[in-house]
Amino acid sequence: MLELKGVTKIFNAGTVNENVVLRDINLKVDEGDFISIIGSNGAGKSTLLNVIAGVYAVDKGTILLDGRDITRMPEHERARFIGRVFQDPMKGTAPSMTIEENLAIAYCRSSRRTLKWGLNNKLREEFRQKLAETGLGLENRLNYKVKLLSGGQRQALTLIIATMVKPKLLLLDEHTAALDPSTARQINNLTEEIVLQKGITTLMITHNMEHAIKMGNRLIMMDKGQIILDIKGSDKASLTVNELVDMFEEAAHRKFDEDRVMLRVSNG
Amino acid sequence: MFGLMITALEQGLVFGIMALGVYITFKVLDFPDLTVDGSFPLGAAVASIIIFNNGNPLLALFFATVAGITAGCITGLLNTRAKITGLLSSILTMTALYSINLRIMGRANVTLLNSRTIFTYLEEWGVPHSWVFLALFTIAAFLIKSLLDCFLKTQIGFALRATGDNPEMARANGINTDTMKILGLSLSNGLVALSGALVAQYQGFADIGMGIGTIVAGLASVIIGEMMLGERSIGVATFASLMGSFIYRLSIGIALRLGFAATDLKLLTTILVIIALSTPKIRNLLRSTTSSAVSNGN
Repeated sequence: MLELKGVTKIFNAGTVNENVVLRDINLKVDEGDFISIIGSNGAGKSTLLNVIAGVYAVDKGTILLDGRDITRMPEHERARFIGRVFQDPMKGTAPSMTIEENLAIAYCRSSRRTLKWGLNNKLREEFRQKLAETGLGLENRLNYKVKLLSGGQRQALTLIIATMVKPKLLLLDEHTAALDPSTARQINNLTEEIVLQKGITTLMITHNMEHAIKMGNRLIMMDKGQIILDIKGSDKASLTVNELVDMFEEAAHRKFDEDRVMLRVSNG
Repeated sequence: MFGLMITALEQGLVFGIMALGVYITFKVLDFPDLTVDGSFPLGAAVASIIIFNNGNPLLALFFATVAGITAGCITGLLNTRAKITGLLSSILTMTALYSINLRIMGRANVTLLNSRTIFTYLEEWGVPHSWVFLALFTIAAFLIKSLLDCFLKTQIGFALRATGDNPEMARANGINTDTMKILGLSLSNGLVALSGALVAQYQGFADIGMGIGTIVAGLASVIIGEMMLGERSIGVATFASLMGSFIYRLSIGIALRLGFAATDLKLLTTILVIIALSTPKIRNLLRSTTSSAVSNGN
């Protein structure tokens, strides 16, 4: 459903700071895949998601979604079928607008916006039910400004915003990394619930190896702008952290050492 | 005193339409738009030249607004298409408008004292001379305020607000933030030009220099209003801009009574805006020094 062919992204091309962040990436994502992406800092994980979302243009290669070439499509047009949650809880919501207004914006994501009222009682009721399902107690605060919410509440809201209109693809960029462990667990549970219930094809970056192993049906490891591991099915189901470390060392031809610190912050 | 109040009300309302325009760019869109210093006299110039040549004053208001919309649109295009920073884009348009306004008027000022303005028509329809300004400005300002309130609650209005509040979130939700910027700037400058067109007929002339300091006066109005009424909702915020505009004109009237020269007013306004803009900071500063003093005491 999503296909990347030879995708390359170079920052500061032609300068001394030239940095090849994505190197000839080939990836085929199947309908309903829930892929966790791991890799050390600078491996290109975030850039990969940003390239898929259209934040950055690629230097080489093509991106196909449901067979349609979206390589040159601007970010806001891709947003009609791609939902996103960012690491920074501030990024995914409009702070000085109310909860219901934020949800109303998401509600119009894939349709043409008109001069109809942005909100009405029918929509409010729908939003109230959606929020009640999450068990965060936000359903009685529809007209609260979002800036009054905690980081965890904002991430939960962003998840609901990103999946309000079922996206073809959901991109989660370390969306629990800025949260405390118990809130992170809560958001992870909500993520799994929404993704599995709605059957949304999802790419999720995480720094936490245990989460990466536990969640989803497929695991991708990136290193230096390339995909060095792609584990799915029963291999993924029986995977352990130690196996993964061994596989990394074999694939990357170097010791895991410094990456171990980065990847095993797994108290969550 | 009564006369002072009435004049402040009239001016507060007619310049309040300009303040609503500044509210759109400054508060909703978070875009520093100096275009208004050019689009205000642009509206005045377009309307005056039409009225001076015996055109219909309603048509004059319409074309003035259209001219303002065009000016805002150009600033928006410079910013989003030519990728020039917001502030510079607006300065460029403002500067270009100086020449354009002179071209439109053909001279540095156009007098309307012997022309049939919209007020001439209203008086002919029976509106008493002493109330004609206040009546029209009240209706116009509150009609525009209500329309703006409604617009900001539509789906497109939400998109405009999200663009100013968090452009990244807006784009992630399928909003074309470039289009929204252009839309907001156009709308804003349309209102500013309409205000300029009404002011020209109110004071009986259009002058090439009448736009200087428009943005500062607009900011002063929006900020004074916000300090007094807060921004609990859209309706309150837009009303606050009108209210702030009234308070601002009243303070100017008082300053003139106190013997300040009219030419000193820009300086006074600037000082007022500086105080208003830095007040929250001053307040926070005071609070943090007191609290640190307390914790040191402990």
